Amino acid sequence: MASSDETPGVMPGQGPTVGKPMTVGSQMLDKGAQMLQSIKPVKQMKQHVCTFAMYSHDMNRQIETHHYVTRLNQDFLQCAVYDSDDSTARLIGVEYIISDRIFENLPPDEQKLWHSHAYEIKSGLWVNPRVPEMLQKTELRNLAKTYGKFWCTWQVDRGDVLPLGAPALMMSPQEVNLGMVKPELLHKRDSKYKLSSDDLKKSRVDIEEPEMINAVADYWKHSGKGFAVDIEQTEMKRNAPFP
Amino acid sequence: MATPPSIPGEPTQTGTALTDTAASTIQSFAPINKIHQHLCAFHFYGHDMTRQVEAHHFCSHQNEDVRQCLIYDSPESNARLIGVEYLITENLFLTLPDAEKPLWHSHEYEVKSGMLFLPGVPGPVQRQDLDKVCKTYGKTFHFWQIDRGDELPLGLPQLMMAFTRDGQLNTTLAQDVEKRFSVSFEEERMNRAYMTGPEHGIHPLANGGGKGLKTELRDTDYKPVDSVPRIFV
Repeated sequence: MASSDETPGVMPGQGPTVGKPMTVGSQMLDKGAQMLQSIKPVKQMKQHVCTFAMYSHDMNRQIETHHYVTRLNQDFLQCAVYDSDDSTARLIGVEYIISDRIFENLPPDEQKLWHSHAYEIKSGLWVNPRVPEMLQKTELRNLAKTYGKFWCTWQVDRGDVLPLGAPALMMSPQEVNLGMVKPELLHKRDSKYKLSSDDLKKSRVDIEEPEMINAVADYWKHSGKGFAVDIEQTEMKRNAPFP
Repeated sequence: MATPPSIPGEPTQTGTALTDTAASTIQSFAPINKIHQHLCAFHFYGHDMTRQVEAHHFCSHQNEDVRQCLIYDSPESNARLIGVEYLITENLFLTLPDAEKPLWHSHEYEVKSGMLFLPGVPGPVQRQDLDKVCKTYGKTFHFWQIDRGDELPLGLPQLMMAFTRDGQLNTTLAQDVEKRFSVSFEEERMNRAYMTGPEHGIHPLANGGGKGLKTELRDTDYKPVDSVPRIFV
């Protein structure tokens, strides 16, 4: 019915998104709610990370991602992922990050959906824009040993004006061929934030690599295979008539 | 939902927490600064209506016609990010390819029944916005199946659906939420009787087209990279 690796049918629409600008009325309602409600879980997002990811079913498709990160405890983080860091940013997915300690306890069938972060961090691809490197060092040391699981719900890079299809599993940059970020993509990001991934790579030489990266993670590296998600019709277990 | 969730792992060390706070004062948080609305509703799994979840949506407007929401299992600071939902107006829904429409659910019943609400916002103010939500369609995926006790977000994304008629929502779940947020769905239902759903009626292909839907994982082979030889470790 719908798959993460299929091009969806044609949709009318111009420009990056469809939809009219917010009316004054809506803006006022928004402001009104804002004053009355507490948005505690969102206030827990304390880090903005900019990095890159590839679609697990097509590593040639690479995107720049903006993660807004909440640390729930020393071993677990959850991220809302956007396609930019400005106010027009589209919510493109969610990534979870866990320590190697927790990761090792997962069954292999689960581990294959996760990717490692060591290369991404050591090579300077993963950055906290506008934060002095030294402020982030402790966190980077911790994150270099983690694994991530990233579902992308809006494939903006193929021009979708709305989130279509099934969520796609994403993979992380790796030192091996298909995992290398395209130079033009990296250059564009680095110019925007006036940084040099190369310089960061040098300054991160002292970040400890994990002793070993679990061989089931970054599944494509050993298997040459990716994953796609399909949505299929099935019998719905129900307690009442539907719809 | 009274006990805090247990996620495996050690408590955050002080050094890590301080860095987090310092960094957040310098960076651009524009996308999440736009999140202004907390909306509480219920979802069920697209293949199993008996598995029902309380869902706290934190929403922002992309524009007048599109909203995007982060879904948490509670409105507290230690809440788990369990999914996402997108809301679109009817006119946009009608432009979706037919194969896509079943993945989206209608909001008319949820809003009119009172079970979808904005915690802390007085009725008359809520209703101004909910009158709009009533006519929209939503697409929801959950990544963390907390209702089956998962301590981590395991497995595949789950397509979620919304309630469409009386008798579907578990009464114990409903009463628990009503009590904790001091609301009465029944009372709100009466106050919202004037609201109308999508202008063209609920599309027959929406809500799974009336069928159950579930996600499956499939292996794929790599497309060859033209200019660079494939190297596998």
